[in-house]
Amino acid sequence: MYDPPTETTEESPGEIGIVQWKDFHWREPFTFDSGDEIPGFTLRYETYGKLNAEKSNAILICHALSGDHHCAGIHSLADKKPGWWNNIIGPGKPLDTNKYFVICSNCLGGCQGSTGPKSVNPASGTAYNMDFPLVSIRDMVKAQHLLLTEGLGLPGLFAVIGGSMGGMQVLQWGIDYPGYVEKLIPMATTARQNAQSIDFNEVGRLAIMQDPDWKEGAYEEGHGPNVGLAVARMMAHITYLSDAGLEEKFGRDKIRHEGARSQFDAEFQVESYLRYQGQSFINRFDANSYLYLTKALDRFDLFGESGRLEDQLEAIQSQTLVVAFKSDWLFPPEQNRSIVHALLRCGKEATYAELSLTLGHDSFLVHAPDLYTIVRNFLNA
Amino acid sequence: MKRHKIKRETDFQIISGWIDAGNRVLDIGCGRGILLEHLIRSLKVRGLGVDPNLDKIQSCVKRGVPVYHGTAEDLLQAFPDGFFDWIILSRMVQELAHPGELIRESLRVSKNVAVGFVNHGFWLNRWATLLTGSRPTNEVFPLSWEAGHPYNPVTVEGFNAFASKHGIHVANTAFLKGNWRNQTRFLPNLTAGYAIYHLQATATSKA
Repeated sequence: MYDPPTETTEESPGEIGIVQWKDFHWREPFTFDSGDEIPGFTLRYETYGKLNAEKSNAILICHALSGDHHCAGIHSLADKKPGWWNNIIGPGKPLDTNKYFVICSNCLGGCQGSTGPKSVNPASGTAYNMDFPLVSIRDMVKAQHLLLTEGLGLPGLFAVIGGSMGGMQVLQWGIDYPGYVEKLIPMATTARQNAQSIDFNEVGRLAIMQDPDWKEGAYEEGHGPNVGLAVARMMAHITYLSDAGLEEKFGRDKIRHEGARSQFDAEFQVESYLRYQGQSFINRFDANSYLYLTKALDRFDLFGESGRLEDQLEAIQSQTLVVAFKSDWLFPPEQNRSIVHALLRCGKEATYAELSLTLGHDSFLVHAPDLYTIVRNFLNA
Repeated sequence: MKRHKIKRETDFQIISGWIDAGNRVLDIGCGRGILLEHLIRSLKVRGLGVDPNLDKIQSCVKRGVPVYHGTAEDLLQAFPDGFFDWIILSRMVQELAHPGELIRESLRVSKNVAVGFVNHGFWLNRWATLLTGSRPTNEVFPLSWEAGHPYNPVTVEGFNAFASKHGIHVANTAFLKGNWRNQTRFLPNLTAGYAIYHLQATATSKA
């Protein structure tokens, strides 16, 4: 039997153990940023730890593009891997489930149980596909807010934390619901993507849409544009890593290729790794969701029409800790710094830390003691 | 109490005395945020520290002191003129690559600048250099030359000359004796172990 330790300390943190996801159903019309409307939605979410009597210890985790609600613990003893952020969530860990009530939901537009383009449109009885409204980061946050207030009855949040697309949501939380959140921790994020990031997303989308199996989004489940989606994922995955990180992990190591059918079979370990990333992605991610979510990333722009970041960040009332990674070239330190600079110019309380992790954009997902310390200190202070 | 702790207390008290409640304060080279924590608690200042060392940043965050991990030069250029009420440069100028530039940029961004530095003109420091030919090593500057730690031998006279050359207004000064505790006004270039200046920009210094 899986028996996590009951007494835990910061030095020897414990595990959450078996968790079960839940669904929140909102049965009233939901209007998107774009003005489009759907008759209701579902958000799939998980919670860890206990809500205190004052309801003041809730922490929301916002996941990144390809993440989901399952960020800690395991669903069954047969699971090979725990949730995607298991190393920071749990008893005695920085997001200490002995102290905090931790929530993570799959975002609106996603494909892991929350309403998205492959969900059934009640009006037609078939999947929304390309009729699904363009979803924005604001829409994701608005839907999460309904889950927290109407679904879980939370009067406020102690903190919101997330990296990458999750970091964008964290900022949007502070802007759209000031006073609801005490502390914001956006990391490896940006107030708007530069042309380079938009370009990468566009290549991914084109790979999907050029795949003949995409069929304008109307593919049957299980028969989607798998080649396009795998290529999109493989390319995007490179942007989440770093030259040094890949070099350290794979270098030019070769794989045995006796019996290779052609000279273009995977020859290097890194090729095989990337192919595996692409293959495993098509088993868990929907191509239409990928189109919608990358578009949400591209359109996110806190600089707005005025070009002044302060116009948006002015609304924030929370204390903010922005964390960047030196090796992140997708949303590099400069872009994280500009968020802090603007917050400080608005007279907000903001802290900035730049960590020397080598693994690139995805550094927040690996074992990162400096990150754990600063998150723990910021939450405790 | 350790001697360096007493030292820290006196210059902190003097700088604290110059700052008004609720002021917007930036501490450059804030270290572990001890001065800022004191200012935030006692004077409710809106404080911010900046330091390039992650270990120091972690300590500041633990204290609840807002802090920016990076260089002062990078941070200052993000602010408009006169944004801060006070910028504090405590025990920094000896160790900076371009101290004059940073002081002048601080005067652009802040209405008031407090600069505290170890006076190399202090007779004991001169004596140490005379005896050894090398820069003084002591409890404040424990590192000798091989560590490569910068050491600008700044003096009270040298600092006065810098201020007058750039038209910087010296609004106030405090000179501490070798014990860094009692004040001295007599020949500070010789008798002061530590000097604290309150600087303000003028039309000339801005030009």
